[in-house]
Amino acid sequence: MSFSASFSININMNIFWLLMMLSSMLVLLIVNPSEVLSEMIGASTEALELCLELCAVYVVWLGFIELIDASGLSNKLAKLLRPLIKKIFKVDNEEIQKIIALNVSANMLGVGNAATPMGIKAMQALDDKSGKANFAMIMLVVINATSIQLLPTTVIGLRASAGSANPADIILPTLIVTITTTILGIILVHSIEKIRLKIKGRKKK
Amino acid sequence: MSAYILPILFILLILYCIYKRINTYDHFVKGAKGAIKLVVDIFPFIASIMIAVALLRVSGITTWLTQILSPIFNFLGIPPELCELVLLRPFTGSGSYALLENVLATYGADSYIARCACVIMGCSETIFYVATVYFSQTKVRKLLYAIPVALLCSIVGTILACLLCKIM
Repeated sequence: MSFSASFSININMNIFWLLMMLSSMLVLLIVNPSEVLSEMIGASTEALELCLELCAVYVVWLGFIELIDASGLSNKLAKLLRPLIKKIFKVDNEEIQKIIALNVSANMLGVGNAATPMGIKAMQALDDKSGKANFAMIMLVVINATSIQLLPTTVIGLRASAGSANPADIILPTLIVTITTTILGIILVHSIEKIRLKIKGRKKK
Repeated sequence: MSAYILPILFILLILYCIYKRINTYDHFVKGAKGAIKLVVDIFPFIASIMIAVALLRVSGITTWLTQILSPIFNFLGIPPELCELVLLRPFTGSGSYALLENVLATYGADSYIARCACVIMGCSETIFYVATVYFSQTKVRKLLYAIPVALLCSIVGTILACLLCKIM
């Protein structure tokens, strides 16, 4: 019974953010009150710099994605991945399948920055305005979180510049872990959804 | 080797566009136009999460959590030296990459700890950042079980990464 109850706990961004802010501010009030404002402004400056950088990155990626779309390649890609996406996300809308296909492919290539605009677009298309995340949305977050990339290029680059004798020898373990956690995530989301549907069905009776 | 993949894909894409008789310049500009609006839309969300994370770090709560969690990490087979990296990874991309560089410099790029850190970084994501940004343009405020499941997968991945680095 406690198992089913734990699923009804909603992780609400409002509560989460409030807890982070309040707890750290209370500690800082005792430890170092003068840091509160300067640290916040510093962080938001960092966010602004990050967004500026992201804007430049998105220009390149959104430009190429438009080419992929206009040339009909995205339709081909979606067709190729459709059976898989249909099974994993339970999405029938072809336009949404196409966006998800682009998001997943970008992740696999290790270009998370190209995946983000597609992820946002997919979420907007999947939104049912109920205020709650639905099955496909949760699946998309979990799959993006397990980072299904085939080549961890950034990490290999950092290792090479740190003087590794064989910087690429982490590819195989990374691949094994990524595939395992992605499959685990898919199974978990599917089974939780099944349990939730069962509980819902019972409530209706 | 990996440096060739993206340029080759770009060239193939442009060649395919030529074959399909598509005005590459017009379409590239059309796509690029969306970048500024997208960044303006997500900026407040990114800033808010970064402010919360910065306060959490400067208040010392993360260090304190690291100390509490390190015996648990040890039990799970995760080197305690990587505690902070594992803890911060779901929140900040730039912060965790800075920690990774630190680990590489301190323990040597080919040490067990550094290899673990690399695999952990390669197969995980900034979960809270992804969730915030992805949901930012929707009406969704209740993420249900999305984050718990994502975090659980991340922990399993971390344990598996440390195990694999021992034998591979």
